[in-house]
Amino acid sequence: MSTAASLHRSRKRKNAVMMALCTIAAGIGLVWLALILGALLYKGISGLSLSVFTEMTPPPGDAGGLLNAIYGSIVMTIIGIVVGTPIGVLAGTYMAEYGRFSRLTTVVRFINDILLSAPSIIVGLFVYELMVRPMGHFSAIAGAVALSILVIPVVVRTTEDMLNLVPNALREAGTAIGAPRWVVIRSVAYRAALSGIVTGILLAIARISGETAPLLFTALNNQFWSSNLNAPMASLPVTIFQFALSPYEEWQQLAWTGALIITLTVLGLSIFARSLTGRREDR
Amino acid sequence: MTAVSEAVTSSAMRTREATVRRFALTDTIFRTATRLSAILVLVLLGGVAVSLIAGSWEALSKFGFSFLTTESWNPVTENFGALAPIYGTIVTSAIAILIAVPIGIGIAVFLTELCPRPFRRPIGIAVELLAGIPSIIYGIWGLFVFAPFLQTTIQPFIIKLFHGIPGLSSLFAGPPYGIGLLTSSLILAIMVLPFITSITKDVFDTVPAVLKESAYGIGCTTWEVTRRVTIPYTRVGIMGGVMLGLGRALGETMAVTFVIGNAHRISASLFAPGTTISATIANEFTEADGELYTSSLVALGLILFIITFIILALARYMLLRIDSRTGA
Amino acid sequence: MKPMLSTDLNVAETAVEKAKIEVKNLNFYYGQSKALKDINLSLPERSVTAFIGPSGCGKSTLLRVLNRIYELYPKQSAEGQVLLDGKNILDRSQDLNLLRTKIGMVFQKPTPFPMSIYENIAFGVRLYEKISKAEMDNRVEQALKRAALWNEVKDKLNASGQSLSGGQQQRLCIARTVAVKPEVILLDEPASALDPLSTAKIEELIDELQADYTIVIVTHNMQQAARVSRQTAFMYLGELVEFDRTEKIFTSPREKRTQDYITGRFG
Repeated sequence: MSTAASLHRSRKRKNAVMMALCTIAAGIGLVWLALILGALLYKGISGLSLSVFTEMTPPPGDAGGLLNAIYGSIVMTIIGIVVGTPIGVLAGTYMAEYGRFSRLTTVVRFINDILLSAPSIIVGLFVYELMVRPMGHFSAIAGAVALSILVIPVVVRTTEDMLNLVPNALREAGTAIGAPRWVVIRSVAYRAALSGIVTGILLAIARISGETAPLLFTALNNQFWSSNLNAPMASLPVTIFQFALSPYEEWQQLAWTGALIITLTVLGLSIFARSLTGRREDR
Repeated sequence: MTAVSEAVTSSAMRTREATVRRFALTDTIFRTATRLSAILVLVLLGGVAVSLIAGSWEALSKFGFSFLTTESWNPVTENFGALAPIYGTIVTSAIAILIAVPIGIGIAVFLTELCPRPFRRPIGIAVELLAGIPSIIYGIWGLFVFAPFLQTTIQPFIIKLFHGIPGLSSLFAGPPYGIGLLTSSLILAIMVLPFITSITKDVFDTVPAVLKESAYGIGCTTWEVTRRVTIPYTRVGIMGGVMLGLGRALGETMAVTFVIGNAHRISASLFAPGTTISATIANEFTEADGELYTSSLVALGLILFIITFIILALARYMLLRIDSRTGA
Repeated sequence: MKPMLSTDLNVAETAVEKAKIEVKNLNFYYGQSKALKDINLSLPERSVTAFIGPSGCGKSTLLRVLNRIYELYPKQSAEGQVLLDGKNILDRSQDLNLLRTKIGMVFQKPTPFPMSIYENIAFGVRLYEKISKAEMDNRVEQALKRAALWNEVKDKLNASGQSLSGGQQQRLCIARTVAVKPEVILLDEPASALDPLSTAKIEELIDELQADYTIVIVTHNMQQAARVSRQTAFMYLGELVEFDRTEKIFTSPREKRTQDYITGRFG
């Protein structure tokens, strides 16, 4: 009797200890988020001023802004999305619609999932071999292509998932009215899956707007304003990388401010993307 | 009258048939476009493999197998070996996983079993937002905030603590630089934590409620249900999540590049600076002069590609097994 | 035992009524398993035919052969003949989209497209016809009136089709099907997801529509079959057990299995 009671007590104690540890673990997760965001806000805001958005990146030891880097990031992100999204949506469409039962889809899904988590620096090397080496110089367009390769797997995955959620009855209804498959996909399936597909695209933007590694040796960097897609172009992440590792205080401050801008952009996009699908789930 | 209406119908029929032919054509075009896009995904991965092999050919044919076993990395004498970056990559990733897995599982247990319902979603989202933060942010934070903190507080303390204890004293030998292998491992642990947490939480959700309820029904505590029912049931899925996290850690570039110290040597101490494959490529690629130097860096990329491909393929395979079970 | 039914009776009946669809020696397969076994029947023009039987008997499968909607899925195949006005629709050369404009279908669950009420109807019409806005407005109105929905939705044609009630959605689907002017309408348990009041409306509608269309309805509800149909086919385990005038099936069936089913002994 007493052994049973003590056994019960020790089990209860063990449970309490383990559950406390789990709660501490959750605390640790949240504390890191708070620490990182706190440091970013603290160090970033002090350098935040209008000149960050209106002036070019300065030479060492001078004051300046991040205008050319921000511009470059926006340009390359837009091209990356414009190139990558249609391919991703089409591939996802094949997997969920025309090729839903085909063997090719199984293989593509597997490979796509690997691309999704493949190291982005490898994509940088690939585009270097594919474009930079044959062209003989670094260029913004090579950077944009590297980003588009990162966009594709994200969009493929979400498009396929979201189209798979569209009930088959809707496709049958569209088909039964005499619409060919592509009209059913365009007017019925895409429409029904729209918010999910848009979420995927937003998440892809969030992902590439902070990517540094694939740009290092494709778009390289540029101290000056350049809108030439065939020449090296500055980008926010690469500029942060360069400035943060420099010994100059002005550069380090700009790096922090740039980091804050990127983080707010990425978090904003992710939260917005989530709210799109979140509303869907509630409905 | 009848003749007229029949003529109308037959002309309507003819336009209908023309439309049908147009539809057949557009449908074929659209289907082909989607199919080609799907194939392009395969081509991309194939292209990555081919270009890496082609780019690294010069280095591999010069150094052969010894590329993998040579520690020296000397651009001046053009003698390159991958051992130090491989060592750094594996050690930092392994330590990161060792730290992140128990914490990640802990958070997942907290979220599925303990967390009050209203907080479940916000906390889950917060942890996932950590996964969305670009790695360069972790890098800059690690370099300016985390490393100095380690250098001034934790590292001297640990060095003093293990001083004179055989094994541990050389594993944690000074001086405290702040940056180095251990700092990189800790940053990596923070980075992969959200991946492991969210996948573990997802696979925990696949455990049928009846299974857990019947365990509670015979008087199990929450911990016993987790330990004896939930974790065994989802073991394969958790392994998949861990492998996915490992894949991330192995390939992570920017965060590590900031805090690893970039030293091509293998030291016993975890406080010593080192390097990883991706950090070496990121740091040296644009400055590499000479075909052999560039080629050696691409060869490093190829090694990283092969390692992560195997790890990620295993991860996906394990997660697929969980999926097919819940699907059935 | 031969599942071939009183062909003589069919002939006698259809001597007055032209057969719209004739099914001859139809077999259907899901992969290796045979879901329909040597089906033969003839559906008269402008009248309602009901398929009844326990679940899994093949009644829905048979319906889905008639517009070849099963082609959306792999490993499903039909052999034999299905003649629409004497032309075999199982023929390879048959264009599926064209076939489906002639044979419309309404499903068990209401399936409004994710667009406005107006667009739900205009969508199908626009596929094959180029007509003016005024004509289209007229077509939409006529279709909605035909489906007895016009008075309920005429003030909110731009509202989402999904905002309607279940019964209204189903009538919208019928309107959508009618709007493209098919010759045959297939109904796959169209009222099984609806409340009794909406069901009554749908049945009333079916009764009106048979003046212009050949209608085939699959139902698990025997009273419904008795109420709406002129002919009834009883199916069991992939076979057509008995096919006759509805009142004959429900009052004096020839087969014992039919008798057992309609008296509720199984199924």
